[in-house]
Amino acid sequence: MDFNLNEDQSAVHDAMSTLLARHAGPLRLRELGGDEPTYDHELERHLEAAGFLDLAGHGSTNRLDAALVQEAISLALGTVATSSRLLIAPSLPEAIKGPVSVIAAGHRGPARFAADAVALIVIGDHEVRFVAPPPAPVERVVSRLGWPVGQLDDVPHGDVMIDVDPAEVLAWARIAIAIELVGAMRFATDMAVGYVTERKQFNRALGSFQAVQHGLAECAVAVEGARWLSLEAAHNGTPEAAAAALTHAIQATKVVFPRTHQYCGAMGFTQEFDLHLATMRVVALRAEGEALGRPGMALARQRWASLSS
Amino acid sequence: MEFGWDDEHSGYRTELVSFLNEELPDHWHGETAILGSEANTKYSRRFAGLLAERGWLTPHWPVDFGGFDASPWMLAVLGEELWSRGEPRGPQYMNANWIGPSIMANGTPEQQARYLPPISRGDVIWCQGFSEPDAGTDLASLRTRAERDGDVYIVNGTKIWTSYGDVAEHCYLLVRTNPDAESHRGITVLLVDMPTPGLQVSTIPGVVGDHSFNELIFTDVRIPVANRLGDENEGWTVVREALSYERVGSPRWARAAFMLNETIEVATADGRTIDPIAIEAIGIAKAACEAARVLSYRVIDERARNIPPSPNGNLARVAMVQAERLVAEACLAIDAGHTLTYRSPSNYQFRKSLAAGVAAGAYEVQLNLISRLHLGLPKG
Ligand SMILES: Cc1cc2nc3c(=O)[nH]c(=O)nc-3n(C[C@H](O)[C@H](O)[C@H](O)COP(=O)(O)OP(=O)(O)OC[C@H]3O[C@@H](n4cnc5c(N)ncnc54)[C@H](O)[C@@H]3O)c2cc1C
Repeated sequence: MDFNLNEDQSAVHDAMSTLLARHAGPLRLRELGGDEPTYDHELERHLEAAGFLDLAGHGSTNRLDAALVQEAISLALGTVATSSRLLIAPSLPEAIKGPVSVIAAGHRGPARFAADAVALIVIGDHEVRFVAPPPAPVERVVSRLGWPVGQLDDVPHGDVMIDVDPAEVLAWARIAIAIELVGAMRFATDMAVGYVTERKQFNRALGSFQAVQHGLAECAVAVEGARWLSLEAAHNGTPEAAAAALTHAIQATKVVFPRTHQYCGAMGFTQEFDLHLATMRVVALRAEGEALGRPGMALARQRWASLSS
Repeated sequence: MEFGWDDEHSGYRTELVSFLNEELPDHWHGETAILGSEANTKYSRRFAGLLAERGWLTPHWPVDFGGFDASPWMLAVLGEELWSRGEPRGPQYMNANWIGPSIMANGTPEQQARYLPPISRGDVIWCQGFSEPDAGTDLASLRTRAERDGDVYIVNGTKIWTSYGDVAEHCYLLVRTNPDAESHRGITVLLVDMPTPGLQVSTIPGVVGDHSFNELIFTDVRIPVANRLGDENEGWTVVREALSYERVGSPRWARAAFMLNETIEVATADGRTIDPIAIEAIGIAKAACEAARVLSYRVIDERARNIPPSPNGNLARVAMVQAERLVAEACLAIDAGHTLTYRSPSNYQFRKSLAAGVAAGAYEVQLNLISRLHLGLPKG
């Protein structure tokens, strides 16, 4: 047990920070379209070239390094489908090259990256299917939630992936979303802390009001809890830890989303202010997490078999 | 104590609902049904006109001003039925609720003759010029300056977040006339006709649906002294009185309940199953709407009895904010992945719910007032 980055992780972290400062961040997201962006192939190429997308090798059970990379990408508001490549792909028989969209079997409706994906990964109760290429063309859906979204109406059956455990894939899909949520929530919390530190009303900084301090302190607890639980889950990789991480990350959004907006006042409602770039993404990620099956229910049932129906 | 509706009010509700069922289906959908959109504001002119023809736009106004002194309960039924359909009066609910009454209470006969008839005809848009870049929650620190020059005021300064500022014909504007007085003291209300030379309006793109804010920059704008509402430097009292019941004037809980219903209907029509988790969330959200409703009714009861505004208004408003947020949660539980579609009810409600604790004054300020006035806690 060690809560600090080791030497290799620190080196990756520093190199990632440099790369992301140059090729990601809110300005880059705005170039791509802000709350309605196009896919950032360029960022993906840079990450690939630097070797950051293959940190967890095939079959690897410890994907913590990959999770740390994904967290940094999410904190920098990267518009790439890297979480599946970093965290899910090691559980699949074939390497994923290019964006994929991860959905639950029976999914019908909008899905993140569906219009950009080279393949769909369809997680069922008993099997995982690989649909490549996806049904073409997938129509784009306006979401204004900060991601490129495509409409999936008739998903072809695709091929069953042999020797793939659907529970394992679902677990990593949950961890991936939890990590992405953590990155976006950290961004939102940082923005709100910045706003209330600068903004003066009643001749004092808003951040000096205890109500605001307590509210943001609870955001911090929620985000830290979700963060460490997700990182621990990425280390352990069990379905139970994964369900707990996503459940807690979703609970954290219920604190972070309304509060960060609340404390940023009307400024938080403008396109100009970066807060919404993160909070709208939070809504989408949460929706995606729920669409993969209720994680809280999954956790309870995994832990207490007597609760399964 | 009893909680029934008398015949007059339940009869009115029936009549109103049947009018709405007849009028709305042909007009009230798509962008028109989104409060704050251009189409919505445009339609409000037709709709408010139809209400006016029936005497329902300003029923609570005194007979002298074209109303029939209807009880606050009738106004409540009206507000509730309209907000439960998403508020087809558009921005004009503000005119009827508090701008008109404020002009009645403080206006000169000339002002009343000029401004009230268009309001009661349902064919005028007002905007509210209160907030400034440095005066949000601390509204009394506003600095837009009005200096007297003979029979005009020369106004300089910036207003921000002005909803409807781009389409309004008039602005109910708060200015500072005495910069030396204690902050609440030197404020005055001016009724500004728009557009007017020196007033530059620009839109600030927002994230809440189609609702957009505006910035109003005043550069040497000349406003006749005849357009001052109430006495000079008495604006704070004028506006506080005007807004004293507004905490329940917009029954947001009714719109939230409407969105809940919409989300359920869209999902059901789409053939989706709503799982037990979502069903429980729906129940919890619906109960919160009901709590906000009954707390609002308590305020209306006070008003009907001419009891001065109490912290019950703050309780009701906080309950409304909570209801809006729980409805957003329930909508997301129902829609799950479908939230990713911009026009889905849950996508819309999530954005809307954000404004609830900010738009009509900060949630925390309501909590401060409840702590002090309702719980009697000592001042910090
Ligand atoms: C949808 C919408 C429509 C609007 N329409 C209009 C309009 O038509 N006309 C108009 O004049 N204005 C309008 N406003 C502006 C609105 O009145 C202001 O947003 C509001 O007064 C808060 O001011 P602010 O945004 O500057 O927030 P700030 O004053 O910067 O406050 C930010 C946050 O800090 C916290 N806070 C502030 N003070 C305290 C305190 N004392 N204790 C604890 N916490 C505190 C609260 O959480 C608050 O939300 C609108 C706003 C919205 C969101």
